[in-house]
Amino acid sequence: MERLKHLPTLRIAARQPITLRFNGRTLAGCAGDTVATLLYGSGERIFGRSLKYHRPRGLYSLDGECSNAMMTIDGMPNLNAELTPAREGMRVEPQNVMGSLKWDLLGGLDHLAFAMPAGFFYKTLHKPSWLWPRAVKGIRRAAGLGVLHPEARFDQRCDAIYPNVDVCVVGGGPAGLSAALAAAEEGLRVALLEARPRLGGFCDYRVRADAQGKPLHQWAAALADQVRARDNIRVFTDAPVVGAYPDGRVAAFQRGGPEDAFDLRYIEITAAGAVVATGCIERPLLFAHNDRPGVMQMGCAHRLLHTYGIRPAADAVFSVAHDLGLEAAIDLHDQGVTVHCVADARTDGQDPLLIAALEQRGIPLRRGWVAHTAHGRSRLRAVTLGTPAGTFRQRIACELLVASAGLTPLTGLVTMAGGQVKYDPRTGFFLPVRLPPNMQACGRLRGLHDPAALAADGTLAGLRAAEGLGCRPQRKIAAAEAALAAAPGAPRGSKWLAAPGKGAKTFICFDEDGTLKHLHQAMAQGFDVPELIKRFTAIGTGPGQGGIPGHNLPLLVAAGQASPASDPMPTTVRPPLVAAPIAAYAGGRHDMAKRTPMHDAQVAAGGRMERVGEWFRARRFGTDPGAAAEIMAVRTNVGLLDASTLGKFRVFGPDALKALQRVYVGDMARTRPFRTTYAAMCNEDGCVIDDGVVIRTGDNDFYITTSTGRAAQTVEWFRYHTRYDGWDYHIVNLTDAHGVINIAGPNARKVLEAMTADDVANTAFPFAACRDLTLAGGIPARAMRLGFVGELSYELHVPASCMETAWRMAEAAGAPFGIAPFGLEAQNTLRMEKGHVILGSESEQRTVLHDLGLGFLWCRTKPEAKTVGALALRDTADQPGRLKLVGFKMETPGDGPPRDGSPVVNGRIRGYVCTARHSHALGEPVGMALVEEELARGGTRLGIYEDGCGGRLRYGTVAPMPFYDPEGTRMRI
Amino acid sequence: MLKRSTQPKRLWRSAPLKPAYDAVVIGGGLHGLAAAYFLASRHGMQDVAVIEKRYIGYGGAGRNTAIVRANQRTSENVPLYKEALDMWPRLTRELDFNLMFYNCGNLNLAHSEAALKAMRLQTATAQFHGVDSRLLTPAECKALIPALDITDRPKYPIFGGMFHPPGGIVRHDAVVWGLAKGASARGVHIHQDTAVTGIEVQRGKVAAVQTSRGRIATPRVLNAAGAYAAALADHLLDIRLPISVLTIQAMVTQPLKPLLDHVISSGGYHIYANQTLKGEIATGAHMDRWPNYTTGTSAYYIKHQAEALTDLLPCLQGVKFMRTWAGLADMTPDMAPIMSGNDPVQGYYQDCGWGYFGFKSCAAAGKYMAQYMTTGTCPEILAPFDPGRFAAHRLMGETAALVNYSADN
Repeated sequence: MERLKHLPTLRIAARQPITLRFNGRTLAGCAGDTVATLLYGSGERIFGRSLKYHRPRGLYSLDGECSNAMMTIDGMPNLNAELTPAREGMRVEPQNVMGSLKWDLLGGLDHLAFAMPAGFFYKTLHKPSWLWPRAVKGIRRAAGLGVLHPEARFDQRCDAIYPNVDVCVVGGGPAGLSAALAAAEEGLRVALLEARPRLGGFCDYRVRADAQGKPLHQWAAALADQVRARDNIRVFTDAPVVGAYPDGRVAAFQRGGPEDAFDLRYIEITAAGAVVATGCIERPLLFAHNDRPGVMQMGCAHRLLHTYGIRPAADAVFSVAHDLGLEAAIDLHDQGVTVHCVADARTDGQDPLLIAALEQRGIPLRRGWVAHTAHGRSRLRAVTLGTPAGTFRQRIACELLVASAGLTPLTGLVTMAGGQVKYDPRTGFFLPVRLPPNMQACGRLRGLHDPAALAADGTLAGLRAAEGLGCRPQRKIAAAEAALAAAPGAPRGSKWLAAPGKGAKTFICFDEDGTLKHLHQAMAQGFDVPELIKRFTAIGTGPGQGGIPGHNLPLLVAAGQASPASDPMPTTVRPPLVAAPIAAYAGGRHDMAKRTPMHDAQVAAGGRMERVGEWFRARRFGTDPGAAAEIMAVRTNVGLLDASTLGKFRVFGPDALKALQRVYVGDMARTRPFRTTYAAMCNEDGCVIDDGVVIRTGDNDFYITTSTGRAAQTVEWFRYHTRYDGWDYHIVNLTDAHGVINIAGPNARKVLEAMTADDVANTAFPFAACRDLTLAGGIPARAMRLGFVGELSYELHVPASCMETAWRMAEAAGAPFGIAPFGLEAQNTLRMEKGHVILGSESEQRTVLHDLGLGFLWCRTKPEAKTVGALALRDTADQPGRLKLVGFKMETPGDGPPRDGSPVVNGRIRGYVCTARHSHALGEPVGMALVEEELARGGTRLGIYEDGCGGRLRYGTVAPMPFYDPEGTRMRI
Repeated sequence: MLKRSTQPKRLWRSAPLKPAYDAVVIGGGLHGLAAAYFLASRHGMQDVAVIEKRYIGYGGAGRNTAIVRANQRTSENVPLYKEALDMWPRLTRELDFNLMFYNCGNLNLAHSEAALKAMRLQTATAQFHGVDSRLLTPAECKALIPALDITDRPKYPIFGGMFHPPGGIVRHDAVVWGLAKGASARGVHIHQDTAVTGIEVQRGKVAAVQTSRGRIATPRVLNAAGAYAAALADHLLDIRLPISVLTIQAMVTQPLKPLLDHVISSGGYHIYANQTLKGEIATGAHMDRWPNYTTGTSAYYIKHQAEALTDLLPCLQGVKFMRTWAGLADMTPDMAPIMSGNDPVQGYYQDCGWGYFGFKSCAAAGKYMAQYMTTGTCPEILAPFDPGRFAAHRLMGETAALVNYSADN
């Protein structure tokens, strides 16, 4: 179709042709087209088939308010053609159609609609009971819209930005532009977000003159130019806002153009003030077959003509209720569309200039008339207009019906951020009555319409936002208030609801095929609030959400109520305001895991890295799941473990000891200088939450370690539990500052001796001691002799920056012995052979210190320290019937260890297996389990139930721990 | 089936508030309606009132993501959830209302060896109780959900999974309306727009319930007010329950043709997803990190959900979220509920603290609470859920991980 040329409002580049494939045919349009306008301009009228009844659907709005124009584009389903810019070579396919758009094999469903009343699925298909499981398969296939391939990939470049501004203005129409300018002139940093590709809002496509005789599109463009010229206004176009939150955040996503470094980006703006100038969409006109292709909203027809240069039809009938409709009729006529008639639901209140213009063109205006029925199936053939009650009717053949009940303001951002709206009988709008703090609303969403009023209202909102941020533009505010008062106020809105009749084909909601009849059926069944009707009929739950039914539904419900006293209440608007691709929210893929300084070296040594909390750690080296070689190296030779992820803290100050006494259950006054003390922290329930060592390193100065998982919470835990004491102490988190190398095995001392000139003989550096050593090259190392794996073992804490050097030094020093790294799997078996627990493995939320046999860590007689968990420890010290930690061995060792995690049963579940492994040192499987106390005695036979055992138990016997080196001589050598 | 529909009848009657009832149930959610239904249908109680401050199904009943399953962690919980799961087809028949139980099975993913270990325990416990649950390799997970990414690319690669065939989804609103319909047909009065303002106690026994529409004399009252139950117990009877109320958010995508044939969930990502019968992918999971009573949504949450979902199921990147919402979860320290009665007030019963498990369990909990309220003795299956366990530091172990809802908890 030839496009109109020389219109001043055209936003297409007619000289840059674009072709795309639609349904196997090549269609042409031009740069600036959306997929929808390209299709319409190429003569396509049926865009899709409806969800339930497979009714043909066409272009209705241009802002993606319903699913009519949802298509599969380049393999990606559910893209709204109205919001997707056309690009060369796109492959566009219709959705939810069996056969062709024109001849849908399921189109007959429309004739069965009478058998699918509101709540249809709740009342059918469940009898007989075998029917439903079969029916559900068919329902799933019939439901949904587009097909997504499980391996589909999304190749758009995604990004995320988080700008901070003083004022965030949402909406780039005249009010929003004025607000942005006003705030910017006060010296504030402003962000302006506009959903469409261009600024100007509803003036961008209007040629009507303003009071000064300047065409509105020129006026808006001049405002936009002023905004663009200011360097303290950051403008985001093509950026629909998806949410506003009570904490002052505004979220949007932006489509990037060819010159942008992104295709899609998430924008989360933190603003001290916000101005909502989102304007209006149209309230759909309700009449029989109001969804036929060829019925469209006034803005849609107007923009097709003026923005895209497409004459929407050869002839048209209008059934509108707003001056914008009269204006559209005049403009369509002036561009060669035959307008047979304009029905205006309002009996009065029209702009006299528009009435004169209609008269001048010989277009009949029927005041108080509305559309009753649209005729035709896949294309509109005629329309019946009439008086509201249908007393007088007239059928007019036409190709296009421009239908609209007026406007409805987009107040979603206001309510989302915590504001309130209330029905206003004059405008017929839900108007903001209470705004969230620091939010202003202005423009059409407040019911205003006149350009001068919009500009004044926007300016006022921008100034008030500035005032809220400490600016003092009092004089400007007074001037803007005067300008607003002088301008025309909010026009009266049309109250027109729906043409008379049962409404079986009067669609309140296109997406869900929800009709007026469905609404009445739901109300008859006792659903009397819009929220419930929404759930029962699915009206407003489709891809366009409340876009089509949002305003009409509450009005209809209120009109149908027995007690008409209650105000209409709209359903809650929820984010996202505009359906947003999940990738847009996800933004870039940032993985923020922590790596120790030895990460790469361990990977190079064959380490299988796993995420442990926020860290990556080596589970094992090589492919042996049991890590036998690593275990044997530690038991018989020497191994190297990267333990840098341990929590490490310095606690110091005059009251440091008091703080330790508060959180550790043991008596920390008994710690001795440079001796390691194994200590535990419990929560208020007595559950062990952490264990580690405490070392007194000076007067009022301590060095403590925590488990990897607790490191992040430790500072908070100290601070929280001492918050009312006013104690003078400091806690410094050294977790990332220090790397930790554990050298373990009978040859560990020989390795350390080669790394330092300091005396590390057993006499100078005995078991459980801590020494500050200097390694070769002057590397400082805090060394501890600990026995977690049950062998001679040194834990070297070195500055993270020296970690790699120290590690290489240990490797070199150990090379003569064949030193090798070991991982978490080996450590797990080694420590279990020693009966040492790992919290979270041998304990869970309900496990108290006593249950683990660690009651000795608690000092019952500690002086008044108000130790966290002490009360619970007292209560549970001798409490019967608790789960207790025991060791066990298997009756038939040859069958290997039971799988950890299997319940322990004797007729019923009596506990569970914590860890079970084959012990290479003992040559048989051993394990630890938490079992009911009466099973905890040595020699008790435990039946063990594993997953998949089919009821065949394996048997073990409670055995004393530690299994390995019970005297503990090996770690003391 | 294909008959022209006549003007339909009300699903539940509206009735005048009577001055006395045999039992008053506070809360027109799933647990309250279920208890009322079973009181009337199983125990022949003639005069039962359900008092609902807003409209039935306003709270968690209408905000959950409709997942049902019975593979809980502990022996105390599994039998209750198993019975609840088995009841869906029966209830559908009994209520003559299609609850739309879609028995698609639940796949839970493990992203570490520790998670696999936890799954082995959970699977063994389920199997011991006769609940079908099995461990799967990553390849077997992929066979069930072809859209899963089982490579090393995701932040948390998939180590394995646990499949629970008897689970699935149920249309949550249908359960609300079906129970209301069934209860109403058996004489239960459902009073919406009615707030409870007081509970009168005389000589240690419940005597009456005061409401915004007048006093109701009754010998027994059930507190099934969901997220508001703990506050009610505190304000009306000075009973302090260890419950923290947290906002939990969920969201749906635009509808797609069948893509996910099973419910999937992942503890590592804090996410679950299932495809509704309408084709939307419903997803949610973790709670906001601080207690509050609002049902507001946050920018942080939807972003987290998007990151997790696209990592696990990369094909969803171009799919669009169309609605987020929020509900309230009443969390106890051990993530197991509180069900008790006659303590410290005779005739006062409570069924709360369900956190985000209240939907799965409602049928069985309602059934046994009705029995409890009729006989006055605690059914054996409910005995472990007495709140006395918290004072005795005997948490139930329904979750292994430490739970800390707030610093003040």
